Amino acid sequence: MDAQTLQPAQIQKRRQALSKLTLTQRRYLFAAILIAPVVLLRLFTTLYPFIRTVYLSTQSYNPAFPPQRFIGLGNFERLFSDIVVRESISFTLMFALISTFFELLFGLAIAHLLNANFRLRGLARTINLIPWAIPMVVVAIVFRWMLDGQFGLIPDLLGRFGVEHRWLLDPYNARASVLMVNIWKNAPFAAMLLLAGMQGIPHDLYEAARVDGANWLHQLRFITVPLLLPVIVSVGMFLVIWQIAAFDLPFVMTGGGPGFATTVFAQKIFLEVTSLNYGYASALGMMMVFAVIVIGGVGLWLFKRVEVSH
Amino acid sequence: MTVTNTQSMILEARIASRQARRRFISQRLTLYLAFAVFALIVLFPFYYIFVSSITPRDRLFTMPPTYFPENPTLQNYVNLSNAVPLLTYFRNSLIFAVGSAGLSVSLSALAAYALARIRFPGRNVVYLALVLSIALPQMAVLVPMFQAFQTFRLTNTHHGLIILMSSLMLPFTILSLVSFVRQIPEEIEEAAFIDGASSLQVLIRIVFPLIRPAMVTMFLINFIISWNELLYQLVFAPLERTRPLSVGLLELNDVMTGGVVIRPWDMMSAMSVVMIIPILLLVLFGQRMIISGLARGAIK
Repeated sequence: MDAQTLQPAQIQKRRQALSKLTLTQRRYLFAAILIAPVVLLRLFTTLYPFIRTVYLSTQSYNPAFPPQRFIGLGNFERLFSDIVVRESISFTLMFALISTFFELLFGLAIAHLLNANFRLRGLARTINLIPWAIPMVVVAIVFRWMLDGQFGLIPDLLGRFGVEHRWLLDPYNARASVLMVNIWKNAPFAAMLLLAGMQGIPHDLYEAARVDGANWLHQLRFITVPLLLPVIVSVGMFLVIWQIAAFDLPFVMTGGGPGFATTVFAQKIFLEVTSLNYGYASALGMMMVFAVIVIGGVGLWLFKRVEVSH
Repeated sequence: MTVTNTQSMILEARIASRQARRRFISQRLTLYLAFAVFALIVLFPFYYIFVSSITPRDRLFTMPPTYFPENPTLQNYVNLSNAVPLLTYFRNSLIFAVGSAGLSVSLSALAAYALARIRFPGRNVVYLALVLSIALPQMAVLVPMFQAFQTFRLTNTHHGLIILMSSLMLPFTILSLVSFVRQIPEEIEEAAFIDGASSLQVLIRIVFPLIRPAMVTMFLINFIISWNELLYQLVFAPLERTRPLSVGLLELNDVMTGGVVIRPWDMMSAMSVVMIIPILLLVLFGQRMIISGLARGAIK
């Protein structure tokens, strides 16, 4: 019995000793074959188009108006004097930062609810998943319908309390509406990620605090937030970067209007692509990548700081 | 002296326990109240779109709006399927979501095993590149992708769209699966190697069955994300034969009649319901898996 099980192992060992190099090489080859499809696909959809975008951003290029020619930084000069770009960048930054702040705030509150020990917890967690899972297109259309100036439900409800607002036709209210809907959609997702972090906090810390007479506010201030800070910062960074590129919601809900009040940067790029201004659209794309790199850098720096301080 | 002392202690304890109970009850009340508010805010829009979809068209365009269904009807759904090729859109959404999720998960499983188990040179570079590439917005590199699609004749094809979408979801899916593979004890594979199994056999016979729950989870998540996609089809597939529900909904949104935009809210709410029903079913049946999958991918 013993000899039987040992024999193949010994053979394996001998084979390994004889051709150790080829065996590891064979293993590397196997790894290369396994990751090759992924690497090729990612190169085709990220690195290649990125390099092409860098190149195209230096060109004056519209397939409807040939020829294509090199204009250096001409597209970028145009970009700084384009009023729609300036407006859309400021709205996009506002959109991403304000959304993220409230998503983290409400996310933390919802995560507390989902972490509490009560009978409907499972149901609460299922409900919490729904806004994440539902298409942004549908969300945009549902809220557009509810905010409709003529037949909408929200103006009707608020009207009963004497609040009269033109929601999607007034620039400021339209911006506020898009922000609120975005927060409604994404706060539960933030809550889900924060909850995962919260579950890692040992329970006896709260027990000990309670014995010492700490109320829930103390517990939040001195246990939950400090221990969750690395998670909060990384979720926040993810949310900001993700929402810098937001497109679906304002595009469907307001079409970027009224005027250009709710035109986000991604929609500006989309408009230039569909008008075939390929050179200019590429320069705008470069600006977006630049914004993501800067924000990602700041986020990483923040993350390192909060990680070190623990 | 001692008697009164004990009595007062008992009294104090009684008061304390009554206070504790009152505090407990008020805490419960706050908790359930918070839950009710939360559930109302999250669920109300879905309730309202559903009610709108079964409200007769002429009742829909009146003030005050219909809060509770009266004379429910399926007429809006009938009108919708007469106005747009609903079945084609649904089928296209399904092909796109199943194809993208399937391709993404199967390629990710292969790569995740290599990244988790084989210490090949350049492994960390590949891993880091995958993580960083998550941050590249799809919008920023639209132009070259569009040109490449024209060159390779991928515009308006299902496979072209599936290649793009699955690639977008690969990094997140791989990270999730890598962390799952790492939880499997390596001894199981070592034992198989000692018994003379080849690398491929170990992967197919041992690793894949072990990570199957994670693969199902990631398939669900990828399915939902692709089902909801709008931009790729809007740009790369303008024709009806590959148009999904998301773009179809947008198309209804832009219907013009005699120079005036009249939004057919009856049909739009019906189509919204059609689009969210499959997602709601997935969430109801797979919520535990989906939550764990999202959290694992995000925290790592």
